[in-house]
Amino acid sequence: MEVFGWIIVALIIGIPLFGIVLYNRLVGLRNQVKNAWRQIDVQLKRRHDLIPNLVEVVKDYMSYEQETLEKVIQARNRAVSANSPEEAIAAEGILGGALGKLFALMENYPDLKANENVSRLMEELSATENRIAFSRQFYNDSAMALNNGVEVFPSNIIAGLFGFRMATYFEVAEAETATPQVDLR
Amino acid sequence: MPLSAEHPCPECGTANRPHAAACRQCGAPLVENWQDRPRLRKKVLLRTDFMAASRANQRATRRLVFIMLLILAVLGYLLGWSMQVLSGQFPAESDSVWFLSDWGLLAALGLFVIGALWAWLSFRRGDRIILRMAGANRVTATEEPQLHNVVEEMAIAAGISKPQVYVIETDALNAFATGMTPARASIGVTRGLLDTLNREELQGVIGHEMGHIVNWDIRYATAVGVLVGLIALVSDGALRSLRFSGGRSRSSGGRGGGGAALVVLFLLLFAALAPVFAKLVQMAVSRQREFLADATSVRLTRHPEGLISALEKLAVSAKPFEGANSATQHMFIVNPFRNFSEKAARLFATHPPLERRMERLRNLGDD
Repeated sequence: MEVFGWIIVALIIGIPLFGIVLYNRLVGLRNQVKNAWRQIDVQLKRRHDLIPNLVEVVKDYMSYEQETLEKVIQARNRAVSANSPEEAIAAEGILGGALGKLFALMENYPDLKANENVSRLMEELSATENRIAFSRQFYNDSAMALNNGVEVFPSNIIAGLFGFRMATYFEVAEAETATPQVDLR
Repeated sequence: MPLSAEHPCPECGTANRPHAAACRQCGAPLVENWQDRPRLRKKVLLRTDFMAASRANQRATRRLVFIMLLILAVLGYLLGWSMQVLSGQFPAESDSVWFLSDWGLLAALGLFVIGALWAWLSFRRGDRIILRMAGANRVTATEEPQLHNVVEEMAIAAGISKPQVYVIETDALNAFATGMTPARASIGVTRGLLDTLNREELQGVIGHEMGHIVNWDIRYATAVGVLVGLIALVSDGALRSLRFSGGRSRSSGGRGGGGAALVVLFLLLFAALAPVFAKLVQMAVSRQREFLADATSVRLTRHPEGLISALEKLAVSAKPFEGANSATQHMFIVNPFRNFSEKAARLFATHPPLERRMERLRNLGDD
């Protein structure tokens, strides 16, 4: 009889402890998702800051491409003024597409590629594009870890009890997946 | 221990049963026709699942540190025991050498604690020393913008803060990572590497180094390296002290008689074998960690081709790098002075053969 008593005592202590561990893990995952989201923001800001410089430098060379340049500037301004995450994701998608088109067009201007300022800016921009891609990748990895935690038994019980919600994945807009290949070397 | 058995795995050196189809440690195929056997093929490809690999690796390394500490403890016990026998300080109730030696227990405990303490201390310092030994100079973002950009990209992908960036002024092609925690790490590359690789290849290499950082490889490698050194030191000391005290014991005689010689023989044997065994285990783990870092690099870049083509370039250029030594060789992306080919002494190699690494990366690229 005594053994049963001890088992019950162990369960009474053990189950809440296990619950606490699960809860803390979920909090950690949720914070990681939040932080990853802010990281994307940081990189997007960097992109927004670089674009006016690039347009300034290339516009003398690319006078025939005014339309493309204007589209880039417009897309940038819309992305800067976006209020909600959904709006931002859409605007950034359009901006990515416009930039990709600009990169592809720049291939047609050998003088432009020879310009040292431009090549430095291009390295910065391609680095920024990579950073945005990698910070999204990390965001999506973090979101997946959180979503697994929210859905998987037994942590889904804790998640339901304390209102942990699934994170939304950062989906890339159609226009952006069609980014043309640009050789930067 | 079965490490020297007849069927070692060609990749990690683990002993396997004679008819095993795949290595029980690393899952490498051991039969020629593994491609034709669907279940085996799946198993072989599955071992490139880096999440599972990472967990298995962390477990394996913790176990390894514990084994090293146990070796030290056994060494300590044998040392204390034989000292007690040789000095004739037998406990009153015993008239043979087969007793539980209190000197031995004390020495075992002492060496276990010293080993753990030493390994822990080496966590706290050590990266500075390695950077100085390798002759690495810190570079700013204005001096090496592309390198800085690539390091930062990989840090973002791994979700850690950006490591410090170093360059080693040499024509040799190599890269290394150091630092005891992901928050305070450094990555160094050689000038030759910067000049030879394009951006994508550099990204693959930096991803590999980032893999060492996020998998905490450097910390474990340092701890294990220190323990291997300590085992070698104590073994050496034991062999020396036996030579010294052996003559004296014969003249003092005592109750032990032939038993004393046996105890000393135990110690002698163990002290001679322990350093070799410890070294073998250390190297096996080092090779495993290289595979894992390659896999992590692909997880970060999602582009195995960059790392494959970088490794191809590294394989072709065999310029030796003088800034490395046996204490730091495991930190580099390719072994700084050993042969890259399959024929290189496998059991004592810190890195798997480059062909094997590329083969595994190609498997990742296929899926």
